[in-house]
Amino acid sequence: MRNEDLALEDLSAIADAIADGRITSVEATEACLARIEIWQPRTNAFLRVYKEKALAQARAMDAELKAGKRRGPLHGVPMAHKDMYYRKGELSTGGSKIRHDWKPDVTATVLGKLDAAGVVELGFLNMAEFAAGPTGHNVHHGHCKNPWDETRVTGGSSSGSGASVAARMVFGALGSDTGGSIRLPAAACGVVGMKATYGRVSRAGAVARSWSLDHVGPLTRTVRDNARLLGAIAGYDPDDSTTSEKPVPDYEALLEGGVAGMKIGLALPNGGPAPLDPKIGAAIQAAADALGKLGAKITVSKLPDFTALYRCAEVMVKCEAAAMHRPWMEKTPELYANQVRTRMEAGFFIPATQYIDALRLRAHFVAEFLSMAMDGVDAVLLPAIPFPIPTIEETDTETKGGPAVLKMVAGFTGLTRPFNTLGIPALSLPCGFDVNGAPIGLQLVGRPFDEAMLYRIGHAYQGATDHHKKVPV
Amino acid sequence: MDDKTKTAAGIAAGLQGMKYDDKRLAEIAAEVEILNDAVRKAAAARLTFDDDPAAFASVMAKEGK
Repeated sequence: MRNEDLALEDLSAIADAIADGRITSVEATEACLARIEIWQPRTNAFLRVYKEKALAQARAMDAELKAGKRRGPLHGVPMAHKDMYYRKGELSTGGSKIRHDWKPDVTATVLGKLDAAGVVELGFLNMAEFAAGPTGHNVHHGHCKNPWDETRVTGGSSSGSGASVAARMVFGALGSDTGGSIRLPAAACGVVGMKATYGRVSRAGAVARSWSLDHVGPLTRTVRDNARLLGAIAGYDPDDSTTSEKPVPDYEALLEGGVAGMKIGLALPNGGPAPLDPKIGAAIQAAADALGKLGAKITVSKLPDFTALYRCAEVMVKCEAAAMHRPWMEKTPELYANQVRTRMEAGFFIPATQYIDALRLRAHFVAEFLSMAMDGVDAVLLPAIPFPIPTIEETDTETKGGPAVLKMVAGFTGLTRPFNTLGIPALSLPCGFDVNGAPIGLQLVGRPFDEAMLYRIGHAYQGATDHHKKVPV
Repeated sequence: MDDKTKTAAGIAAGLQGMKYDDKRLAEIAAEVEILNDAVRKAAAARLTFDDDPAAFASVMAKEGK
């Protein structure tokens, strides 16, 4: 292995080393546990670490390999996941106080798939309460902290997923994305996050935020790792009627080939909830230039006005969240953080006709986006977060109110939430560092079910740059 | 209390069985107005009688690679 500390290797290298016997799953798991011991006090990324269970699982995976049984390309790899994926009979808090002792009677489809693939489970990760919040604040379990600068936010809601992958505590993690909750922590923590097409990955057994907008997906250190992990969790699921029966491509096999001849539309939006910071814009432009040097043709993409897409998403999430949370909001409203409860309350007041129209508009929005922004291009390149990563203190809406704080927090999702309304795939990957030394993330957006194209572009970009190789110290 | 806040108060008490103070009702009324306006304008420019929410899934499948 290249690194003395196995935890510094990426997922694919570790999986391949386990497969050919150069290391054991137990060794990989012990390396992660050692890393957790150092980084957990600094980041608060984990809500629960299952040390003994993980080591027992790792021993079982090693025994299977010794007996000639390899489950697949994730066999024996240690991971952890956002605390919103149900495992039958085990604690699952959803980052909340309300479910502090709740145990589900089903296992999430995606966890079942990872079990079958031989993944070792190190524990469950911090998250925004009920996946509501783009920063990583959590008043019940403690805020998650950015490994690059512990005073700064991780992005949310999959805060622990972003922080744990970035700090090399795990080789990969599942997150979920209703308005940017995979891509924001990926961008803020300097890792790779995929929100695949709506229907590509089952939501069964995952805490819902908005049934219409929720997407389950992986966070990893490299694009290759991400492609491998998405391949393991994607596909039709009879327990989630919104999943697609389209065959799942072998994403990893489609990574090579480069970008020569591809057309990529660059979009540097400078409106909406937050203006584009010049250094963020320059980093995205530099990424476009790097792809241009690799042979891609870079053009300018014209984005539609995101306001309607954003507002329609807000209508959907508020109405659906208010409906599912009503019993708790009536009986125990004090158990929510104020900023979580108040986000949902408008849902009780929005007319059903507006909610239905928001749903009816989605097909039009998709057609418009594909014919406008994606006309003649294979993917669109734009920033994930338009401003430098702020501190935990300056974005704390629980203790600091006021329009400026609320505007900054709303600005996080200005360039991510529209793609939840559209349901099309969006990949976030690191492309530099901001004025404070925190990561900058770019987004690649593609046509429905064209995750393979985004991975191919991202993989080529990572082959020519080293942002993803930098490790927080 | 202005008319919009009164309407919100009526919905909270009469239709939803929820209790909010006047300040919060005014905030909610303002928030809902922005969202409703945005959806209404987008719908007026695009939707016809035959638009079905399920068309989203069909478009995704048809446009999918």
